[in-house]
Amino acid sequence: MSAQMQATGVALINDASRADIDRWVAKYPAEQKQSAVMAALRIVQDQNGGWLTNELMDAVADYLEMPKIAVYEVATFYSMYELEPVGRHKICVCTNISCLLCGSDDVVKHLEGKLGIKMGETTKDRRFTLKEVECLGACCGAPMMQIGNSYFENLTAQKIDDIIGKLD
Amino acid sequence: MLVTIEIDGKKVQARSGAMVIEAADELGIRIPRFCYHKKLSIAANCRMCLVEVEKAAKPLPACATPVTEGMRIFTKSRKALDAQKAVMEFLLINHPLDCPICDQGGECELQDVAMGYGRDVSRFAEKKRVVKDKNLGPLISTDMTRCIHCTRCVRFGEEIAGLRELGATGRGEHMEIGTYIEKAVQHELSGNVIDLCPVGALTNKPFRFSARAWEMRQFPTIAAHDCVGSNLNAHIGKNKVLRMVPRDNELVNETWISDRDRFGFEGVNSDDRLRVPMIKQNGQWKETDWTSALDFVATGLGKIASTSGVSEIGALCSPSSTVEEMYLLQRFIRGLGSGHVDHRLRQTDFSDQDAAPLYPSLGQSIEHLETVDAALVIGADIRRQQPLLAHRLRMAALDGANVMFLGSVGSTYQFPVAANVVVDPRCLTNELAGVAKALLKQASVNPPAGFAESAKAVQVSADHEAIAKALKGARNATVLLGTDAIHHPDLSTLRSLASLIAQLTDAKLGYMTEGANAAGAWLAGMVPHRGPSGSKGAPAGSPISEMLRQALKAYVLLGVEPDKDCGDVRAAMKAMRDANFVVALTAYQSPSLEQVAHVMLPVAPFTETSGTFVNAEGRWQSFAGAVAPQGDARPAWKVLRVLGNVMHIDGFEFMSSEEVRDELRTRVGNAHPDNKTRWHPPRPFVSVPQGFTRVTLVAPHSVDAIVRRSDALQQTTDAPTFAALVSDETARELSVREGQMVAMAQGGNEITMPVRLDARVPRGCVLVYAGQPGAEHLDPSATLTVRGI
Amino acid sequence: MRKVVNYFRSLLLWELFCGLALTGKYLFARKITVQYPDEKTPMSNRFRGLHALRRYPNGEERCIACKLCEAVCPALAITIESEQRADGTRRTTRYDIDLTKCIFCGFCEESCPVDSIVETRVFEYHGEQRGDLYMTKDKLLAVGDKFEKQIAEDRARDARYR
Repeated sequence: MSAQMQATGVALINDASRADIDRWVAKYPAEQKQSAVMAALRIVQDQNGGWLTNELMDAVADYLEMPKIAVYEVATFYSMYELEPVGRHKICVCTNISCLLCGSDDVVKHLEGKLGIKMGETTKDRRFTLKEVECLGACCGAPMMQIGNSYFENLTAQKIDDIIGKLD
Repeated sequence: MLVTIEIDGKKVQARSGAMVIEAADELGIRIPRFCYHKKLSIAANCRMCLVEVEKAAKPLPACATPVTEGMRIFTKSRKALDAQKAVMEFLLINHPLDCPICDQGGECELQDVAMGYGRDVSRFAEKKRVVKDKNLGPLISTDMTRCIHCTRCVRFGEEIAGLRELGATGRGEHMEIGTYIEKAVQHELSGNVIDLCPVGALTNKPFRFSARAWEMRQFPTIAAHDCVGSNLNAHIGKNKVLRMVPRDNELVNETWISDRDRFGFEGVNSDDRLRVPMIKQNGQWKETDWTSALDFVATGLGKIASTSGVSEIGALCSPSSTVEEMYLLQRFIRGLGSGHVDHRLRQTDFSDQDAAPLYPSLGQSIEHLETVDAALVIGADIRRQQPLLAHRLRMAALDGANVMFLGSVGSTYQFPVAANVVVDPRCLTNELAGVAKALLKQASVNPPAGFAESAKAVQVSADHEAIAKALKGARNATVLLGTDAIHHPDLSTLRSLASLIAQLTDAKLGYMTEGANAAGAWLAGMVPHRGPSGSKGAPAGSPISEMLRQALKAYVLLGVEPDKDCGDVRAAMKAMRDANFVVALTAYQSPSLEQVAHVMLPVAPFTETSGTFVNAEGRWQSFAGAVAPQGDARPAWKVLRVLGNVMHIDGFEFMSSEEVRDELRTRVGNAHPDNKTRWHPPRPFVSVPQGFTRVTLVAPHSVDAIVRRSDALQQTTDAPTFAALVSDETARELSVREGQMVAMAQGGNEITMPVRLDARVPRGCVLVYAGQPGAEHLDPSATLTVRGI
Repeated sequence: MRKVVNYFRSLLLWELFCGLALTGKYLFARKITVQYPDEKTPMSNRFRGLHALRRYPNGEERCIACKLCEAVCPALAITIESEQRADGTRRTTRYDIDLTKCIFCGFCEESCPVDSIVETRVFEYHGEQRGDLYMTKDKLLAVGDKFEKQIAEDRARDARYR
């Protein structure tokens, strides 16, 4: 890593993340490093506790040698990147057509009531963030939600309570 | 390869691979569009250009559909029109109905197309979105709610400016154009997004709300701030130039203009304008009329001529004066019997002026720069000095050309740069000699007389080898001497070496001169050693440096502010102050002229006079005055013509500026300069002594009197600052921080300035912009002591 | 035959009596003379009289310097200059109507997107010297302020036809 890279904030990316990003970079032709931007953003987001700071996005831009604005474009386009701090557990509830037909409204209402927050908000103790998302491709198990890297399907009020109860 | 297609029943041959919209444009069939622009890549995201194509299931975007043999296209069929109308309705969903307060109103592409394709009543009853405005600096004002996301500005940034500053963030209805983290858009061509924006999202900030498109009249003119000679249209309202927009000329500026050309004109409406002739009597300035002012000039000059001799009269003019003005000025002075005329205000080395070409030319067409394989640019901050030449070189570089820089200001470039050697100005000749030495070695050619001995101490570095190799390996190379090289104290050596390098590599040698009309000045005879069209100048005179040193008794200044425009400000101000009679033909009442002049004659700037500029490639571009001169100001060529009459000098019977131009044009004929100069053995190259050097840079927004008075440009980051600019490294060596004061001493003078860090400055150098107070005491060719306070 | 009829008609002053009959009819009919200026005829709410510039209820002038009225004016009677006001809005620095040029066509009123320039019912005005009929922005705003109630009522009555 050159001195220039140090100066531009690439140092914000820790060694583990960097190794992980390099693994993704290796999958693409050398002159198309920017192809790894989505993976890189996910990796640094995980490193930072679930959200991206401007400095981290700049670091990714420098690391992948792409214009900063191009990274911002990606980060603002996809809903899985968070640009504000989120709770420890991000609960993503699908409200697209299949889930809607199978009662996602009830899921949303139950979660909001249980956690005492509205969609898009974070609990005061920073444990949970509720987020409305578009189709996650699990229509067969509608209504569904995603917490961390896991999908929870065929939700009922009872099942939701169980799932939430098991989280720290 | 051509294919035959049919558009709206008209058969036409189109280039295979061309898009339908291009073929239609050629045929004169107008397909509505927003995102398509002929100079930008194809995005096909506005969908306005949907057309019906036979056998295609759905309407296709004309801008992204290549023509194929036998294709039948209908641009006005029911299906095409329905599609276009539907797209229009979608585009208008979130577009505010604020045309009455929008500056684009009346010249808006969306407005025009909505007239043809929009519904009269909106079916959209929901809330429209609102987007926060972005602050894009002092030149561009934003109303982002109006944006229709055509992304022309984004593509301009990426493809033309090479600086991706704008982007589209967010998604769907939340998509916004902006810089995400707001910052002023810093690029010398950024103003072009104003023209590109099809709606009123990006508009001209200084022009904001001042006039409507329909109340202005348009006059073609030529940009007066650099040697490109961009073609402009001046928009006039209420007898005032209100804005400048580019006029297409593929050979010169394509469709772009630099920010300096767009916003620089503001200076012509400055309050500083001199509106009546003024004479100084007993130290007091008094307004007067033209007759008495001209009599005053004639008497004054006559008195000097009779008492001290005509050779005590000299004339200086700005390199941005028109050909006509220069031709008449030199005729006036030579008619009086003196040969002291010069326009090379910042040049310092005149030792080889006899070997100089007929006029300093680019040595090739501007268009040709795009096709070079290798270019070595010596002593130029080309991005800021000639932005559109930098753009051409960028195009070449993106095509794989090796573009290399050798100079004392290490600008960053938005394209792959093969080499960027930034050195102390005193080392410039050594570096160039290194390149020459490397070339001679690589080519195994015997060095020209005297080179081997002089260059004995010159070390050939890896950079020199690389530059030599790239130039040698190119089929189509060019070596360009920039503005800073021309102002360099050892221009003759640089010229000689550059010529040698060009010869060895079969490259074209070119000059990028200061001002709009340096080429025209040489042709008009505004140099002391040559008359018009390079004829033997009789009587011969001295160049500016001599003229100032000799302290002549009288000076005639045309468009010159001696404290800002001259290279050696100290000498200029001293000579003017000591002179018995100084006549200033000026558009501005500047403090320095008030101090030194004895009479000020108000003359018209380029927007108010007819004239001709000869650009770097030798293109004569004439223009007419766009507005009437302000106050009692008169075109300078008329003033000089009458002055000639008043003083009974022959050859001042011209009735129009065209007559003046035509006379010179006939004398010049088709003469083309040969930039190759004879080799002359240089002085031995010695290593540079220890100590600091001042790097002098004329800030891009202080090149001439007009630009210096443009408020908008003076607010940009390219405006000159009162500061000593040093690199991080130098600052560490001096142990000073940003903002701290440093004292710079030379020859008994000491001036203090705040430090500013700037990575462009070479190590061991301090960059002080030309024209800053106190800067005149720092001679660039001598050593400087610097200490932090 | 006709000659004969005409002869007797003129002899018997037939047409004179016809005329007198008409006069007699009106002698007894209801009188409709209006004693102007003590009495006035009814006036349409669309009457196009003296111009006025209106304000919003909060006192802010309505005009946004779009210059449509200036562009549409067939008599070239309107002169506008505009600039950005300190608060960033688009405003006029000059708004003049030369009433001696104006033909009272009402196009300015029609073109105004914010109902700022209007023509009032006022037609009884005069100028005593040159320039009195040259309405500046201040004069126009003063007219607007004075007749705002009437102007607003007139616009309201006309609203459903616009």
